[in-house]
Amino acid sequence: MSTAEKIGPPLRFDWSVPTGVYNEALDPSGTPRDGWREFLDALRHAPPEELARRATQAEEQLRENGVTFNVFHEGSQLQRPWRLDLLPFILSAAEWRKVEKGLNQRARLLRWIVQDCYGSRQLIYDGSLPPEVLFANPGFIRAFCGLHAGPGPSIATYAAELARGPDGQWCVMADRAAAPAGMAFALENRIITSRTIPPALHHQPVLRLAPFFLQLQNTLTELGARHSPNPRIVLLSSGASHPYYFEDVYLARYLGYTLVESGDLAVREDRVYLKTLAGLAPVDVIMARGPERAIDPLELGGNSPYGVPGVLHAMRRGNVTISNRPGSGLMETPVFMAFLPELCRRCLDEELLMPSIPTWWCGDDAQRAYVLDQFEGLVIKPAFERSGGRETIVSRVSAAERGALRERILARPYAFVAQELIERSAVPVFSQGAVRPGHAAVRVFMVAEGGEFSLMPGGLVRVAPNTAPMELSISAGVGSKDLWVLADGPVRPVTLLSSENEPVKLQRTSAIFPSRVADDLFWVGQSLDRADFLSRLLRAVVERLTTDAPLDAAELPSLVRILADQGQIEPGFAIEILAGPMPAFGEELPRMVSDASESRGLAAAVRELERLASLERLWISPDAWRKIHETAATFHASVSSGWTGPYDVLDAVNQVILDLAAVSGLIQDGMIRGPAWRLLDIGRRVERTRNVAGLLRSLMSDGEPIERPVLKALLEVMDCRMTYRARYLDNIQQNAVLDLCITDETCPRSIASQLAALADHVDLLPQDAASPLRSEEKRVIMGALHAVRMLPPDQLARPQTADLRDIMIDVDLALRALTDTLSRKYLLHSGQPRQITIEPDVVATT
Amino acid sequence: MTFHIQHTTRYTGSEAVSVGHNEAWLTPRATGLQRLLSHSLTIIPQPSVVSTRTDAFGNTVTQFSFNQGYDALTVTAVSDIELDRPAERPASDSLAWDAVAEALQRHESAAELEACEFLFDSPRCRTHGDFAAYAAPSFAPGRPIVEALLELVERFHGDFQFDPEATTVTTPVEHVFRDRRGVCQDFAHLLISIIRSQGLAARYISGYLRTLPPPGKPRLVGADASHAWASVYCGPLGWVDVDPVLGTLVIEDHVTVAWGRDYGDVAPLKGVYIGGGSHQLQVSVDVEETAPAGE
Repeated sequence: MSTAEKIGPPLRFDWSVPTGVYNEALDPSGTPRDGWREFLDALRHAPPEELARRATQAEEQLRENGVTFNVFHEGSQLQRPWRLDLLPFILSAAEWRKVEKGLNQRARLLRWIVQDCYGSRQLIYDGSLPPEVLFANPGFIRAFCGLHAGPGPSIATYAAELARGPDGQWCVMADRAAAPAGMAFALENRIITSRTIPPALHHQPVLRLAPFFLQLQNTLTELGARHSPNPRIVLLSSGASHPYYFEDVYLARYLGYTLVESGDLAVREDRVYLKTLAGLAPVDVIMARGPERAIDPLELGGNSPYGVPGVLHAMRRGNVTISNRPGSGLMETPVFMAFLPELCRRCLDEELLMPSIPTWWCGDDAQRAYVLDQFEGLVIKPAFERSGGRETIVSRVSAAERGALRERILARPYAFVAQELIERSAVPVFSQGAVRPGHAAVRVFMVAEGGEFSLMPGGLVRVAPNTAPMELSISAGVGSKDLWVLADGPVRPVTLLSSENEPVKLQRTSAIFPSRVADDLFWVGQSLDRADFLSRLLRAVVERLTTDAPLDAAELPSLVRILADQGQIEPGFAIEILAGPMPAFGEELPRMVSDASESRGLAAAVRELERLASLERLWISPDAWRKIHETAATFHASVSSGWTGPYDVLDAVNQVILDLAAVSGLIQDGMIRGPAWRLLDIGRRVERTRNVAGLLRSLMSDGEPIERPVLKALLEVMDCRMTYRARYLDNIQQNAVLDLCITDETCPRSIASQLAALADHVDLLPQDAASPLRSEEKRVIMGALHAVRMLPPDQLARPQTADLRDIMIDVDLALRALTDTLSRKYLLHSGQPRQITIEPDVVATT
Repeated sequence: MTFHIQHTTRYTGSEAVSVGHNEAWLTPRATGLQRLLSHSLTIIPQPSVVSTRTDAFGNTVTQFSFNQGYDALTVTAVSDIELDRPAERPASDSLAWDAVAEALQRHESAAELEACEFLFDSPRCRTHGDFAAYAAPSFAPGRPIVEALLELVERFHGDFQFDPEATTVTTPVEHVFRDRRGVCQDFAHLLISIIRSQGLAARYISGYLRTLPPPGKPRLVGADASHAWASVYCGPLGWVDVDPVLGTLVIEDHVTVAWGRDYGDVAPLKGVYIGGGSHQLQVSVDVEETAPAGE
């Protein structure tokens, strides 16, 4: 193409589209296509540096939002960022309407077919579909029979994977009808593109995505309306180990639904309930995001952690709606593509408007003959596995492999389909300072609206640098793009926020707080305080190790023993240090602190804090989550830079202490004083009390008075040096120090202030109103608080007596009991479900 | 003749089960030769909710669950069955097996289409070239299908040894074929796999076998067992049942409860529970003839 010469600096157009490939932006004469002229004109005048700067901004925003694959996956070091190209894929409104019309018909057709397959099977009985399509298809699951007969759309959301061939005709590469992935990524791309694209490129009216999500809400609400006038909708996720977990989190937040995992739901008397802090709350609609064949371990077997035992029967009894209905995934098996044109006539009495990629089913003699004849030009796929998994591009494999594949097809012809290869159309991509062609895969999304389907005016575009076949997964390609549909009229502003202009009923709590979230937040609090405490303790040690004469620090042995008691270092060091091999300890310390496999260590506490916070970031303020993420990233970067001595440790723990203080501040200032904050704060205070009690027990274990240097170090760890100095100047006395640590309720780190706060928290947890007496947890905490408050002043001066030590032990036991009670009552409602199976056997044979 | 059948499953755990969901395929279905005169299913303790439904194969399923914990679960199915003896006809008086297989390929009638559901691999029954080779000596072209089946099942009975120790509920058919040992469920799965490898339709039957005491000895109550065998689509004859454990066609000692593609479709009792610790299962079945044959 000669456009490159016509356009001078500033921006280089390295824009040669291979012959025969459809050019999305320019027609064969080089004239911009509908919708592209204005954009290309602006693009030609865009300074490349600005584009590059904005592209970097976009990537940063993506990273910050955590839109990375496997970001939550434990143990996964390799994080694959979601790359975004700022230049959109542009379509005119007229063309979009054509696509919508075709896909609306296609989605209606798939719905018709799936309802028939899981219902009366007319299509089998009248010969429209051969029986193999169902009976040899492992994706046809008998337990779903009858589930598609109820009112409301059986397929509420549908996605099509599109490609445009050289003739300019769109075709469907794959259908996604079970739990289509990608719509949240499309939304995320839209938001970031709009924020970062140069304003000069963003003058045209682009249709908004919000109406699509609004319709999705309406459709799901209608599905729930037959169960309850004000239906409760939850989004059932496969959980944080799933690669697309981000999307579940994002969608739940955007749509305003509670994000749940299987352990959050329980079936009782054929109804589905959500386990919440306040008890069981009925659920009316489940937006299922995991694999449908794992939705109910009772009826489908298996031990996937995704499913909810009994949920299918609850749906059969009409007490809950799972959307999309289980069974819809059958339509993802590519065998159906070979029959759609005939089925469209048979079922809808219409001609199929949106073709599939040409597909032949090898179970048919004539089609198989064609496939074997044209073998080298085709791609062979399992007929009964959803597209996007195993497939063979025949021209790319050896002659021996081709022979083996032919054998496999001939042995089980019905289990294979063949499809044509397609050369995907080219679209401008900004890459390495120039505009270059990228080959596009487009995923678009539909939502049921009454009997019809409406198309999201946008989508998820992935681009590859060449025309080679692309994977169908939404993570395929080297980058992604926003899809703009230009409006041919004014764009109506719509948001998912309150659509009517009237005041709402004021509330003080959000409706639902799942027990699992409560559990996680409790441990967020614990990890947060553990990391803080360990950092302060390590700092006290390392500061003394890094002085000129570490052995002169009389308090060092005591501090090292505390480290040992806290499980931070080998107990051997606590003994050896008295004999003096300090250099060895100084060299060993960095390793011990940075070892994340040491479950009680600082590295593990920081990692656990980040993991749990990432799971529950819906419930933590976004800034607090970002700061936690940043804290962990900084710490891990410091660790992996390779510590060589105590100075490195000192720098790292100093940073952690400052970072965690910022996290605490953001949590205290940013979180609503609701159950999420309360559970997190309970976790923190439980941990803090136990840490202080443990620290004091270590110091008092030898029955001797605590020496002055140790008391000073204790004030440092407790962050009370300034307070102490203000009260007592330099007169370090044990009773005054212990008062700050134990009994002073104005000191934010004292045991008494933690216990008093815990007693208040426990009162505000949901209670069984029927019991007039104090709850078990309240009695436990009040007992400990009472013991501390009743300490005689002279005891603080004499810690060598056993009493004070015993009280520290009692406080620790009380908090363990509190944790157990809270767990039982509020946090974990269930154990792991298991299967029973019974083998028939005969006792005797004749 | 008529049978009175009592089938008790008792499940005990070392700790209480806190929540449990169950499905039972314990209600005998009606067949061309079998009528259900009366039936009751007693569950102790009383479940929080019980309902019945018909599954995709036409079997009756009872679904029940518990919100309250229990230490032991007992499910007792009591059924009275009237069973006709199948019409006796020589095995040679049946369609050629390859004609049946071809008709299934063409699947022109509703009966053939329905049989197609049992023609392909299912989770526990997989076709295999070795299975087809095992069957081949009995399946000469043009041989009447019942004759071929009878010879196959007799040969199978001679080649395979009943051995409750050899397999578990998850042993794959390929291993059963290799080791030549197993229980009725394994044999039914393997025979079904062999028959499907011939391009014929075969389904799994879960049911009961009436056993007769040795001559002169009294009948032992509870000594019978739940049983499983195969049923084969034989064209105009319909479905013919064969028992690989006994090595015979099924005549009048077998009571059908449910059928499916394999055990997984019709396990007598399925359940998912929370709690329970280690568990123990006891199954007892008693099949009593209540009226002599021919009346």
